Amino acid sequence: MNRELHIVGFQVGRETYGVRIASLHEIVRLTEITAVPDAPEYIEGVINLRGKIVSVIDLRKRFGEKQIVANPKKNRILVVETHGRLTGLIVDSASDVIKIPAEDVEPPPAVFQDGGLNCVTGLGKYKDRLIVLLDMNKLLDRSSSQREEKSAEAKGAAAGQ
Amino acid sequence: MSNSSDDRTAELRELFFESAQELIQALNEEALKLEKKPGDSEVVRSIRRIVHTLKGDAGACGYRELSELAHEFEDVLALEISSAEHDQMAEVALAAADVFAALIEAYRKKKKVPSAQALRARIHKLAAPPAKKTRRKKSASSLHFAWSEYERLAIRNALSQGKNVFNIAAQIDPVCAMPVAARQLIENALKTVGEVLAIRPEPGARDAARLVEAALSSQLAPQEIEAKCHIPSIVSKVTMETAQAAKQAKKAAGAEEPTKDVTEAPSPAPEEPGDSQAAAPTPSIAGAENILRVDAERIDNVLNLVGELIIGKSMLYQVMNEFARQHPKDTLRNKFADAMGFQARVLNDLQRAVMKIRMVPVEQLFRRFPRIVRDVAHQCGREVELVLTGQDTDLDKSILDAIAEPLTHMVRNAVSHGIEPAEERQRLGKSPQGTVQLDAYHQGNQVMVEVRDDGRGINVPRVRAKAIEMGLVTTQEAARLSDAEALDFIFRPGFSTAEEVTQISGRGVGMDVVQSVLQRMKASVSVETGAGEGTTFRLKLPLTLAIIKALMFTVEERLYAIPLNAVAEIARATEGGVHQVDNHEVLPLRNQMLPLVRLGHLPAEDTEKRSRKFFVLVINVGERKLGLIVNGLVGEEELVIKALDDQVVTTDLVSGASILGDGRVVLILNLAAIVERMGRMRPEEAGAVLSGLLFQHGESMTRKAGDSTGVEA
Repeated sequence: MNRELHIVGFQVGRETYGVRIASLHEIVRLTEITAVPDAPEYIEGVINLRGKIVSVIDLRKRFGEKQIVANPKKNRILVVETHGRLTGLIVDSASDVIKIPAEDVEPPPAVFQDGGLNCVTGLGKYKDRLIVLLDMNKLLDRSSSQREEKSAEAKGAAAGQ
Repeated sequence: MSNSSDDRTAELRELFFESAQELIQALNEEALKLEKKPGDSEVVRSIRRIVHTLKGDAGACGYRELSELAHEFEDVLALEISSAEHDQMAEVALAAADVFAALIEAYRKKKKVPSAQALRARIHKLAAPPAKKTRRKKSASSLHFAWSEYERLAIRNALSQGKNVFNIAAQIDPVCAMPVAARQLIENALKTVGEVLAIRPEPGARDAARLVEAALSSQLAPQEIEAKCHIPSIVSKVTMETAQAAKQAKKAAGAEEPTKDVTEAPSPAPEEPGDSQAAAPTPSIAGAENILRVDAERIDNVLNLVGELIIGKSMLYQVMNEFARQHPKDTLRNKFADAMGFQARVLNDLQRAVMKIRMVPVEQLFRRFPRIVRDVAHQCGREVELVLTGQDTDLDKSILDAIAEPLTHMVRNAVSHGIEPAEERQRLGKSPQGTVQLDAYHQGNQVMVEVRDDGRGINVPRVRAKAIEMGLVTTQEAARLSDAEALDFIFRPGFSTAEEVTQISGRGVGMDVVQSVLQRMKASVSVETGAGEGTTFRLKLPLTLAIIKALMFTVEERLYAIPLNAVAEIARATEGGVHQVDNHEVLPLRNQMLPLVRLGHLPAEDTEKRSRKFFVLVINVGERKLGLIVNGLVGEEELVIKALDDQVVTTDLVSGASILGDGRVVLILNLAAIVERMGRMRPEEAGAVLSGLLFQHGESMTRKAGDSTGVEA
């Protein structure tokens, strides 16, 4: 078994994460983001991706980073495609493609699953570092379900409870 | 090779799905007609033609289940033509339409084909009793003597030779155990008195028939023949008529009663009279020749490209302006401008032409309602007449599709809850039959669709009570609300699902869904009701979703747009001119108080505040007029709307987004939702003037919870 996983690594805060290259549409530099009113906090807004309007999530906010350092030179937007729809994810920086042998990937500890972190598919070891491998579909599904809860709450609040 | 034939099959199936949908619709319509006029042979024939086409098409595409089912149904219909008074026919035809539609849907989605056993059973049931009926009828009065072409020729020949030809019908005695043998005996008997020109059942028939019909040319007197035929304990009754008369009768009847007992006939070929086939030519949907069927997706693609072109146009304009600034004296500039003007004109025409392709008459939607109304009326035991008007009003296809669900919902509601039971109506002095009217018409740049019923109306006091009960308003507030405002509660989520309300006030399940669908496409719904007089729901729809003329403005450096046709006027004002009434900001404008909506934050209290200037966009939302406070105006532009359909960013405040010539994204605000949001937030609780609607998620909400960031009390 010397199968290799092709992973795009990226940094959010001090952690390194990775996604399968197949789930990535492209990586673009940070462009002008149009804020959308009423959106949850981790939603930055929407961008114009060559004529398509793509909503952008700030992964740093999403992952609960306290200090967000704007660095236009290094910051990137990962554009992922889930359910036929493009979504942008702002990360602090993105690296080249890294290859991790499949046997160096360990399944996520059970505590992740229990903690609702089922978007973590495994932990990859790469040059003495741990790379948290993410399933983008699950990550974004969670985001949107949170969003629904939130909007339901908002509606309840607006109804004047 | 196989690939291309696969493609062709796929194409064929695609075509089939499209035409099948129309056939099903036509079947529904005809079935409803039949229900109104049971036994109308013209309608039955038309149904039969539709089913026949469906059978053929389905067979060609290899959808066996559908084809077979249609075939069985067609057979029953053939029977029906001769005894067309069967009252269950319409019912079964409607059921068949449903099952066919379900089958087609399953084929299209390549899902498991649903069972059609229930329908099949009904068809068979339908097939059985009328068969008996026809037989009984034959024995009683009307005799068919449906001879084949060849046999008729033989009869005519015999007649022209001066022979007497009799049509003889011999009823086989019910106690006779061997009808097949009886037939033979009768034939033998007839042969002794003359020449048998035709006989039914045909020789060699194995199925037992209780009636033997024959055409006999004979020189004997009728009484003698009759006596000859009367075989004791085998023939119970003999009827005779001279062929001449029978022929005339047949001519008069024409194609009205052509088909005989097909199920009984051993070989249907000669039984099937030629003229019935002629009367049922391979049908086609009327007017199909001049209509090009195009996949909606292709039109959307063209429309998208036109949209990109319009973005390109504004890019060019920007370049030209830049050019003009840098080289103000260059003569090329004018040529440039001329070319651009020409291009803009053509683009305009192109855009309009493409939009027109997408426009379809609302009839496409309305025509499904007779069936729905009928079904719902049956279910809840109401008598309802549906009146459709304005069917030829054109509407964008995507809008039409989007309102299909909400409209269906409202029509159902109108029938089941709006219209009272017949007895109650009579007691109230109304006609026992309720009326539900669907109407569509243009008004300015919008299309109105109305659902009107003359039923009991919405019980407004009850709605108020319910709103208080649910904690949506306090008792005092409820008393202050106008009826129109109180009615708005029926669009609240959760409000409708309450069982008692549905029963008593009669409105509801899912009206909030209706409204949210409409808001998503910049449409609105209003309701008018009078106790005992009925209810009208009025949908205000945009003509198209794809491109709008918009006014762009900034609010605290952020760029937004609203549809230009919502803007009544633009006024200038200063902070000092704004008054506060009951925690609402208002602006006196030409002796009227204009309620204001502050999209941005209130400026900080300082000495310059009162002289700070801003623009007020006076907008019409529904019947109301409101002023939007904005910081700067950018200008008007045609925007190609792109949906903001990502679940994660969807908000009812924004109806769409567009990309400008310079690549910036501008959000198009949904005015109806903004106004509604403002109305929902109650300043008493917030303890402050509402502001900052467009700024930060939930900020306005958190403020309500006591957080007073940037707002003074």
